[in-house]
Order: sequence, then structure tokens, then C-alpha cells
Amino acid sequence: MTFLALTPLGATFLAILTAGAIVALYFLKLRHRRVVISSSILWKRVLDDRESHSLWEKLRTIISVLIAVTIALLIAMSLARPEIESLTGKNERIVIVLDTSPTMNTLTQDGRTRWQHAVDRAKGLLNSGGPTTEFRVIDTSGVTASAFTTDRNEVRRLIDQMSAKTEDPKFPKVDDNDSQVYFVSDGVTLHNTPSFVKRISVFESANNVGITAFEIRSIPSMPLSYEAYLEVQNFGRPAEVGIVLSGTGGQRLNKTVKLGTEEIYKDVFSLSQFAGGGVRATIQAKDDALSLDDVAFAYLPIKRKTRTLLVTRGNHFLQTLLQLDNYVELATTDPTNYRESPTIDAYIFDRFAPATPPARPALIIGTPSAPWLKPTMGEVKKPEIATWSESHPVMQFVSVHDVSIERASKIEAGNLTVIAASKQTPLIVASEKPKWVMLTFDLDSSDFPFHVGFPIFVENVLAWFSREQLALKRSPGIVDVPLANAQIRTIDGNIVPSDQQLGRTVFVTSEPGLYSGTQGDQRVHVAVNLANPTFSDVNRSVFKTDKTAAGQRYWLRRELWFYFLVAAAALIAVEWLTYHRRITL
Amino acid sequence: MSTANATVSLFDDEFLKKLEYLNIISKRLFAGQLRAERRTRKRGTGLEFADYRAYVAGDDFRHLDWKAYLRLNRLILKLFEEEEDLPIYFFVDSSQSMNYGSPSKLDYARRVAAALCYIGLANLDRVNVISFADGVKSELPPQRGKGRIFKIFRFLTDINASGETDAKSSFKTYCTETRRRGLAVVISDFFDGHGFEGALDILRHFRHDIFVVHISSHDEIDPGLRGELLLVDAENNTTREITVTPSLLTAYKTEFAKYCEAVESYCGKYQLGYVRTTTDFPFEELILKVFRQGRFLK
Repeated sequence: MTFLALTPLGATFLAILTAGAIVALYFLKLRHRRVVISSSILWKRVLDDRESHSLWEKLRTIISVLIAVTIALLIAMSLARPEIESLTGKNERIVIVLDTSPTMNTLTQDGRTRWQHAVDRAKGLLNSGGPTTEFRVIDTSGVTASAFTTDRNEVRRLIDQMSAKTEDPKFPKVDDNDSQVYFVSDGVTLHNTPSFVKRISVFESANNVGITAFEIRSIPSMPLSYEAYLEVQNFGRPAEVGIVLSGTGGQRLNKTVKLGTEEIYKDVFSLSQFAGGGVRATIQAKDDALSLDDVAFAYLPIKRKTRTLLVTRGNHFLQTLLQLDNYVELATTDPTNYRESPTIDAYIFDRFAPATPPARPALIIGTPSAPWLKPTMGEVKKPEIATWSESHPVMQFVSVHDVSIERASKIEAGNLTVIAASKQTPLIVASEKPKWVMLTFDLDSSDFPFHVGFPIFVENVLAWFSREQLALKRSPGIVDVPLANAQIRTIDGNIVPSDQQLGRTVFVTSEPGLYSGTQGDQRVHVAVNLANPTFSDVNRSVFKTDKTAAGQRYWLRRELWFYFLVAAAALIAVEWLTYHRRITL
Repeated sequence: MSTANATVSLFDDEFLKKLEYLNIISKRLFAGQLRAERRTRKRGTGLEFADYRAYVAGDDFRHLDWKAYLRLNRLILKLFEEEEDLPIYFFVDSSQSMNYGSPSKLDYARRVAAALCYIGLANLDRVNVISFADGVKSELPPQRGKGRIFKIFRFLTDINASGETDAKSSFKTYCTETRRRGLAVVISDFFDGHGFEGALDILRHFRHDIFVVHISSHDEIDPGLRGELLLVDAENNTTREITVTPSLLTAYKTEFAKYCEAVESYCGKYQLGYVRTTTDFPFEELILKVFRQGRFLK
């Protein structure tokens, strides 16, 4: 017998102390009620007769003491949490790692999912071990990680609350020093597990055709023109796949293709007929076991001309450029006549800045002096563009590496986003709030207007200012939106619960979908798609159940202390009953 | 306590009237001292014819049977039974154990003794009352005639319960003094550490006609005791710690019944009169019915 709460010496000491205390207490004199009787002759005869003739009478006192000592010892020993390995097993720890990969949603031939089979196997593991066995359940998505507990029901409840996720799985860090680790998985996405892990497979081969890529992209040469790229792959038997692209305005594109095993179908669809809004791509194939990758979403920006007010004393290049832009509705004024107008989507200030920042975004050329702009700290002659951000929306398809600049103003970037800079000064900076982009050089002192990238740059700036953007691409799971305190809605307008993390809004989704995040007049679309060949290839398992992956079962289902307390309670009841019936003394 | 009060407390007048119609029965014939209404072995001047014998000089010729003389020509003398008084000894146990119960056994014994004394006095018997415990504590000299009843009441009232019971020693002390044989009525609970048999044997050996009145309290027959108790013996103050269990209580009741049975068996064996009563038994019923059924009274 071992003790989980005390050392053997401590337990022995506790037992001796308890027994001694009980015996000492037991022999404390009980105050007897004084009763005067006429004569003790008959009582004496009765008592003498009983005491001299009954062995039971002699044993009654000692039996009562023994019962009391036994009760106390049982209680004391239960505090020490004894353990007998043959009855209850040793105090082992079992970690159950459940694979929550998207592929666990794959249907098996019995109509259930691999996940449901995994849950059954995990619950089966809970029936192994003894009452002192502690269990812990962890998933591969990092969402669930329980503490060790002997409460199997609690672990069962936790397992019931878990589900297969749609995000990238990762095998959790588990310590094998004092635990047995079981990994219940289909072995598709997580092949390499630590050697000490006992694997339990729920894999069963299945047919699956999935969308492995879907996105809408603009055509650089044609502003406000978009196309959709779709990639479909067959991971099962050869199948006929029906492809449908549908828009929110009822537009629809259908296509049927035959795909052999492992064959990939790639296609580009023109969206010229589609109105702006969500675009949904769905595929249909017979006996498809995973539905998560049968649908994908993207967002097609709504096409609308940008009402732009150019405030300049005269800039031929800029004026001509904007007038030729089909997606710009241009108005021009000089600085003296400048008035803010609620009908304007964007301003372009050429070597001018108003005293207060405009309510709408602005492109500022040159470094005019204004309280809301960074003050100039001198001039830099012939600055060379040393760095520029290709990822910024305004620099999409724009190259500035060979732009020559005669002179530029020197400013301190501070909290502004530097889009392009020389070693001496930022050359293109952007502010998120209020939204504006500033060139620290004059167009007259640069060859930038002569570059092919300049019209695209202006178009990008105006698009960034007021036009809708393509949807951000995210995978299911924890989705982040680069807007603080944004309200997240589904494509149907339903609000999705969200949290704030580091200036971003995050929400959780387990299925593909199109979401929008709105904060004030800012709106961001997020397309959440599985679109991952790793997840769609549901037959890529190299996983088999280890032969040793079966827990031992023991006779007792609870810890010994529980039975000790039950026995103590039963003995107390017996003692109470026998004492009050005067069977024992 | 005054005499009048003693009387009131022991009996009422109506009850005393009823007692006057009763008569104490003695199974044996004892020699009396004075003329009374009790038959004796003596031949005397009573009314009841007893026998004939031949006339001898000096006999009272008033008792000659002249008809027999005419028929037989012999002088034959008629003999009559002499009617004398009966000595009755009331041994009242006044040990401490008698001071138990409600009413106490001693009170009940007093009333029984008083009633029987009254009956005896009404029949012109000579009534002796002896209070005993571990010895003869007090005794009332022989009383005769109803007029003495108040003296007896007073005596009984003055009896106090004290001391241990030693009936054998008490009876021996009393009987070894010169006493006439008579009817000995022992009123006691018979809780005698020395045994009741020896005491009654003494009375038997002195050839008394014995009548036993065994008084018990209901609390002795069925003690309502439970739990951890310190029993204190009222007579000797000895104590004993016991735990009263139902089985122990049953054993006690059995023992008590056995004890009473033993007293009764003893009396049956030696043809002694025996009446057992409890203090909650109606006293009048005891006197007027039970004693008559027990052939102690007629």
C-alpha cells in the first residue's frame, strides 16, 4: 500500500495517533445518571449472571472500542489517500490528445465523422486506468487543454464540448515524464508525433474533391475590373465535378469537369457580369466525404467612380491624368476657393494644405505647411529611393526604384507609415487616421509623373481612400481583422461575437464564409476559406493504431479513500445502531 | 401525627365498618389467654359441644348429661370447647427498601397491617405489631379490643423506614423471647440479602401459623430505566454502574418474576398463606377480596 497524500512514516504516525486518541477518549469516564433503587439484590444477580456466563458480554466493550478505533483509522487513512496497485492501479497520468484537424470532419462509411469516432475512442480511454488515474485532454488547435483530473465525467463533458476545427493543427507540447500520451487522430495532417505517443487511428479512406484555391483579383491594366481564380483538386476516385460561381446579384457561372485521381483543375473566370459583393464558389461531386472544402468565398468590390477634388494652382500632368481616368469624377479648384464639400470622396492637394484636416481622405503633394501635417526640417537634394513597401495597397503594381527626385522636404516620420524613403527622409508617407498620403517632393521636381507606375499609384491611392478593397484571405479558426473595435457580420448581416486583441478585432469561425468588419466609415471584408490541399487530401494518412494503445482496467473505480469513508460511515451507522440498542457498550 | 389524623390517613369510616365483618382465619388452633371468640384445644365453658367423659369428683355437675344418666345409669359429663383469643403477630418490614415507590411500600404495608389489626381487634384477638429491619426496631405490646386500634395506628404511623433487611435475625430475636404461638403475618418486600427462607424458617420452627404479604412496587416490576446509570441501593448505599439495555431489562424482569415465584413456592411448599400485591393495587380490593380469596379472612 502506498499513500498519495502522506509519506508511509507520516501515515503510520497518523494511524497510531488516531488509534491512541480514540482509545483514550473511549475510556474517559461517562457520567452515569444516579438512580436510587429499593434493592440491588436482583440487579446484582442479573448482572453477575450475565457477566459470568456470556463471552459476548465480555467482548462487548472491547468490540465497541475496536469499532471506534477502526472508524477513526479509516477516516485517518482516507486522508492519507492510500493506494493498492492491484486494486486501483498505480497513480498514473494519461494525456489524451485529440486531433481537431479539418480532415477529422471527413465522413466515414457508417455516416459518422472521423471526429465522432475519435470521441468514442477517447471516451473509451477514460474507462481504462484506476480510480487514481488522472486524465488530461488536449486538442491540436490549442483551444482546449484541461488540467489533470481524476474526474472522468468532467473530462467526458470537456470532450463533448470539443469539435474538429478548421484551422492549422499543431501537436501540443506534452510531458512524457510521468504520463502516457495517447493521440487519437486520422493521421492526415499530423504525421510526426513524438515517439512516446501512443497513436490511435480513426482513419478510413474516403473520396473528396475540394477547392484548394479561390480568389478575386483586379486586372492591373483595367481599374475596377476583376477576375476570379479557382483551383479544384480530386483526392479520391475519378469524379465528375460541378462548379458553380454565384454572386449576390444573382449572377451565376456553371461548369462541369471530370477529374481523375489527384488531378487539379485550374481556371480563371471573368467577373465582368458580376455586381459588387460576395462571390461564392461551390463544387459538387458524388460521395464527397468532406464538405468544408466544397465551398469558398471572395469579395468583389462595388464599382463606383471616385468624386475627387483637385486643389491646385495648376498641374498639367495631374489634371490630365485624372481627367483621363474613367473611374474618377474630377472637380478642380484653386486653393483660394477651396471649401470642404460633403459630396467629395477624396481630395488631392497640390502644394497646398488647408488649416484643418479634411473630413475625407487626401493625397498631399509636396510638403505644404499646416498644423495637422509634420513640419519640414529642411530640404534634401537628390534623394534616392532606398526602401519602399510593396505590400502597402498604394504600391500595388507600382515600382519606384528608378524614380529620380531633384529635391524633397525633410520630415520626421513619427507615427506615420513610411511607404517609400531615402536614407535621409521619408518620401511617401501615409496616415491611417485621418487618412491621407503625402509625397514629400513636388511632382515638378521629380520624374515620377512620367513613370508608368504613376497613374497606377494615383489609382491605388484613390482606391485605398474610398474604394472597396478585395477581401482579406483567412483560414477558419481564429480570424483577425485589422480594425480595432470593429463589428463583425456575416454575409447575411448577422453579428458575429468578437474580441479585441492588440488593436485588432478577432473572431472565431469553424466554417468557410464571407465576413465584414465595420468600424465607423471603415469597412474590411474577410474571406474565410479552407482552400488548402493539405486539408483536402483526406487520404494522406500514414497512421496506424499502436498495439500498446490500450489502457488497463482495474476492479475499483474510485480511490481507496472513498471506500474507506463509506466503510467508516457504515461502521458509524452500525455502532450507532448497536449502541442505542445496547448491543455494544 | 395525631391519632385522628393517623386514622383518617389510613382508613375512612366506611372502610372500617366493612372490616368489622371480616375475621382472620388461623389454620391451626392456638392456646389463648383470655376468653374470646376463637376456638382452642382447651375444653371449657364455650357454647360448642366438644365431647363426653366420665364424671369424676370435682367436675362441674352443671355439665352432667342427665339424659345419658337416665339411659345408661352412669354419670357422664358433657365437654364444651373453650373459646379464647388468638395471638396475631404483624411483622412489618421497615427497612429502607420499603421506602420506595409512590405510594411507598411502607405506606401500603402500614395500611395492610392496620386493616388486619383492626379485624383482629374486632374479633377480640390479641394483636402484636413488630417493626423490623436488621433487627426488631420496635414492637407494640399485645392489644385487645377495638378501642386499641388508635394505639396501633399511632404505632404504625411512627414507623420509619431505615436500615438493611435481616428478617431472620429479627424473627429469631423476637421469637426466642417467650412468646405464645400464634398467627404470624409478615408484611415485606422480601428484599433480604440474607435470604427470605431462613427468616420464614424461624417462624415455622417456632410453630407459628404464617401468612405472607408480599408487597412490590410497580417500578420494581417494570423499572423504566434506560441508558448509563449509577444504581444506588437504598438500603446499603452500594453503587453499581450499569448500561441498561432492553435485554438487561428483560433479564431483570425475569429475575424479579423468578424471585416472587420463589417466595410463593416456598410458601406453597410449607402451606403458608401467601398474597402478593403491588402498591398500585387498590387497597380496599386487596383487603375485601384478595385476602378472602386467599382464605386469610372470612
